[in-house]
Amino acid sequence: MSATVLENPLRAGVRLERTADPCVVVIFGATGDLTKRKLVPALYRLVQERLVPAEFAIVGAARTEISSEEFRANMKEAIVQFSEAKSVDDEVWESFAQGLHYLKVDIGTSEDYGKLSEKLEQIDQERGTQGNRVFYLSTAPALYAEAVKQLGQSGLAKPKDKGWVRVIIEKPFGTDLASAQALNKDIHQHLDESQIYRIDHYLGKETVQNLLVFRFANGIYEPLWNRQYIDHVQITNAETVGVEGRGGYYEKAGVVRDMLQNHVFQVLSLVAMEPPASLNSESVRDEKIKAMTAVRPFTPERVRTDCVRGQYGSGSINGKGVPGYREEEGVAPDSATETFALLTMYFDNWRWSGVPFYIRSGKRLAKRVTEIAIQFKDAPHKLFGSEMMEQMTPNQLIIRVQPDEGITLRVAAKVPGQVTRIRDVNMDFRYGASFGVQLAEAYERLLLDCILGDPTLYARTDMTERGWEIVMPILEEWAATKKDAPFPNYEAGTWGPQAIHDILGKEGRRWRRP
Amino acid sequence: MSTEIQQNSAAKSVPQGVDVGRLEKELAASWQNAGGAEESGVTRVCVLNLIVYTTHREDRAEIDALLDVVTAHVPGRALVLVADRDSTEAKLEAYVSTRCQTESKGGAKQICGEQVTIEASGAQVETAASAIEPLVMPDVPVFLWWKDIPHEDDKLFNRLVDLSDRVVIDSLVFDHPHEDLKRLAQLISERRQYMLLSDLNWGRLTSWRNLLASFWDVADYRPALDHIDNVLIEFDPPDVAPDEIAPQALLLAGWLASCLKWEPTDEFAREGKSARWMMRAGERKINVEFRATEDRQGSDGLIATLSLKSGASGAEFNVGVNETWTKLETSAKIGDAHMVKRVVSYEAKSEGERLSRELSMLSRDAVYERAVASVGGLVEVLQKS
Repeated sequence: MSATVLENPLRAGVRLERTADPCVVVIFGATGDLTKRKLVPALYRLVQERLVPAEFAIVGAARTEISSEEFRANMKEAIVQFSEAKSVDDEVWESFAQGLHYLKVDIGTSEDYGKLSEKLEQIDQERGTQGNRVFYLSTAPALYAEAVKQLGQSGLAKPKDKGWVRVIIEKPFGTDLASAQALNKDIHQHLDESQIYRIDHYLGKETVQNLLVFRFANGIYEPLWNRQYIDHVQITNAETVGVEGRGGYYEKAGVVRDMLQNHVFQVLSLVAMEPPASLNSESVRDEKIKAMTAVRPFTPERVRTDCVRGQYGSGSINGKGVPGYREEEGVAPDSATETFALLTMYFDNWRWSGVPFYIRSGKRLAKRVTEIAIQFKDAPHKLFGSEMMEQMTPNQLIIRVQPDEGITLRVAAKVPGQVTRIRDVNMDFRYGASFGVQLAEAYERLLLDCILGDPTLYARTDMTERGWEIVMPILEEWAATKKDAPFPNYEAGTWGPQAIHDILGKEGRRWRRP
Repeated sequence: MSTEIQQNSAAKSVPQGVDVGRLEKELAASWQNAGGAEESGVTRVCVLNLIVYTTHREDRAEIDALLDVVTAHVPGRALVLVADRDSTEAKLEAYVSTRCQTESKGGAKQICGEQVTIEASGAQVETAASAIEPLVMPDVPVFLWWKDIPHEDDKLFNRLVDLSDRVVIDSLVFDHPHEDLKRLAQLISERRQYMLLSDLNWGRLTSWRNLLASFWDVADYRPALDHIDNVLIEFDPPDVAPDEIAPQALLLAGWLASCLKWEPTDEFAREGKSARWMMRAGERKINVEFRATEDRQGSDGLIATLSLKSGASGAEFNVGVNETWTKLETSAKIGDAHMVKRVVSYEAKSEGERLSRELSMLSRDAVYERAVASVGGLVEVLQKS
C-alpha cells in the first residue's frame, strides 16, 4: 500500500474501499476475444464501482486499422453483450468512453512503440494518469517476449519519477519447461519480477481466495488438515465444452498444458501449502512454491501406473449429440492429444506423506464443475454395525470453485425413528445463499489487484517453472508412447476413461460424483 | 427473483403473552412441509436475527417489501414488533410466516427465511422484549432495526439493545434533526461500550464520501486537502423540519470535521436558507456553510451538492447530483489546471439492499460515531447562539 493512501484521512473506517492509483491500462491484442468478453467489461465495472479513480484511461492496441470511435462502439456493444448487467448506463459510458482510446500497434514494429509512448504522454497530460501504466498482453503467446522486448527498448517498461509500470501476461506461459524458462529469461531482461503479473484467472475466483480464509481463519480445520485425518483428496476440473473452434491450438496443447499445469496446480498448491507467516504476496507465494517443491516426481513407471490420459469420442451432453475430438475442426483424424488427464500426486513432506491427491481435468465431461473434495479417514472404531448403515461414507469436505460456489461438509446422522439407521447429510454453505451477493468476475479482482500493486493472486516465476517441471515427465512419456494411446477412450458426456475408476478402486476408494 | 410468503397460521391471540413453544412448532411444521416437496429445492438459511421495531401498523407493507430484499441478501429470522404504545388495550399477538426467494439463476431453488410478527399494544409493549428474547435464534448475530427515534430512557429500546449485537436506525426520519442528532451523540457517548450503531442515512452518504475521498487518493492533489478553507453543502430541506439542516448534511460536515480535525468555534450565523459555522484547524479557519435548495419531491433531506475550496492554493473540489438525481458528477481544479470530470451512478442500492448492507456489518463504525459526536458539537454552538 502506498503512503499516499495511508495519508488520506478521509479513507479511514470500514466502509470506504481503497481506490487505485491513476493509471492507463494498455491492452495489446485489443481486437481479440478476451478484450471484449472479459477485460473491457471488467474495467467498466471497476469504473462503475468507483474502484478506479477519475484519472484513468484505457488504450486498446492491435494491428487492425480502426479508429478510437469504432473501438469505443465495439466495446460498448461488448459490455452490453458480455457483462453481467447486460446493459450500459449512457451517462456513465460517456464518462468512461472519454478515457477509452485505440492505437494501431504492430507488436514487432519499433516505431509503433514511439507512437504509443506519445499517446500515453498525451493521456497523462489530459487525464492526469501520472505516468502509471499497466500493459496487458492479450496477444498470441508467441508474441509475449517480443512485446516485452519492445516495451523495454522503447523505454516504456521503465517507470518514470514516482510512477510504476506493470505487465500482465496471459496464459499459457510457455509450452514446456524449456520455453517457459526461456520466456522468463527474456522478459527479465526488461522487467523486474515485481513488474510481472502472470495472470491465472482461477486465482481471481472468490472460492479459491476463500481457501486461504477457510483454512487459516478457522481454528477447527487446520488440525485435521494432514495425513493423520485425511485419507485422500480429489480435485475435479470438468468442462462440458469441447475445443470450441480452437482445434489447432488444442492439438499442440492438450489438457495438461491447457489446464492442469497452471489452473489446477494453483488450486492444488493452496490446498497443500503450509500456513504463511503473513498475508503479504511473497509469504503466500513462498508457501505455495514450497508445497509444490515437495511433489513427488513422475517417473515413466509412475506415469504408467498413477496417471491416465483420455480423449473423448462422440456422445451427448445435456441431451444433445456431440462429435468426438477427432471429428472437431482443426483436429487430426488420428490425433493423440489428450483431452482428459488424471494425475495421482503425492507431496513428500510431513503433512501429506502417503496421502494421494487425485487430480482430473477434461473436456466434454458430464458436468461443468470445479471442486476440491477432501475425504477424511473412517472413524477409528466401527461402533455402528453395517445393518445400521443405510448409507455412510467417510466424512467429506467439498469446496466448490464453480459453479454454485460454496462449501459442503458431509457427515453421518441418525435417521429419525425407533431404530438406529445412519445416513449421510450435507451441511451446506453456498455463497449465493449466505451472502446474497453477485460474486465479482475473476478478471475484475485480478485487474484491480494489479493496479493496486498486489501480486498475491498472480503466479511467480518459480511457480510457473515448477508447474512445468512436474508435468514434463508425463508429457514426455505420453509423447513417446502416443501410438499406444487407446484413443478415443471415453464417451463425451461421461466422467472420463474407465481406467480412472480402476486407479482409485485398487486402493478401495471411489470417485465422488460432483 | 420472486418472493413467496406463506403465513402458516392466522393471528394467534394470546392475551397473556406469547406461546413461544407453539410458534417454534409452527415454524418447524412449515419447514417440514417445504422440505417434503423435494422438487421445490427449498433451502432454509439463517445467518442472522433481525428484530424490527415500528410504531406504525401502516409500515408493515414497507417492512415486508424490505424484508423480501433482505431475505435474498442475508436470510434469517425476522422478529417484527408492531407497537401501539398509545392504545388503552393491553394486548400481545404473534404469528409466523416463511418468506422464500427464488434464485434468479437456475430458477427452482428457493432461499427461505422465517418471520415472527408480534403485535403489542398498551402496557404489553414494554413486555414485548421478553417475548422476543426466547425467539432469537442462537449462534447468529442479532440486529435491531429501530424504526423510530432512539431515546436513551426508553425501557423497551434499552432492553432490545441489550439483546442485540448491532442497532440500525435511520436519521433521515428524525423529526427534529438538530435536537435528535445531539441526543444521538449523547446516547453513543453514554452507551458506546454496549451498543454498535448503524445509520441507514450514513449508508446513503457512502457514495458521496467515497467520491470525495477519492480526490485525495491521488498523490498530487493530496496537499490541497490541508488548505481547505471553505465548504458548501447544499441539501433538500427536510419536510418535517424545513427550517433545520438535514441530518445527512450535518453528518457529512461532521465526518469532514472529525477526520480533518476541525474544531467548531463559537462563530455561527444564520441568514435565510443559509447557516454558517466557523471552524478551526490550528491557525486555519474553515467556513462551513449549509444551504437549503428549493424543496424537491423525492429527495427529502438529501444532499444536492458539495464543494470544498482552498483560497490559498486555488483548489476546488466539487461533487453534485444531476438534475434528475440519477448521477453524481465530480469535478476539480487546482489553480488553472482542471482535473478530469467524471459521472457515476448516483445510487445503485435500493433501501432493502442498503439495509442488507448494514446487516452484513458487525464491527464498530468508529468513523460514524466520531462524525455524530462532531455534529453534536455543532448543534451545541447553534443552540447557544
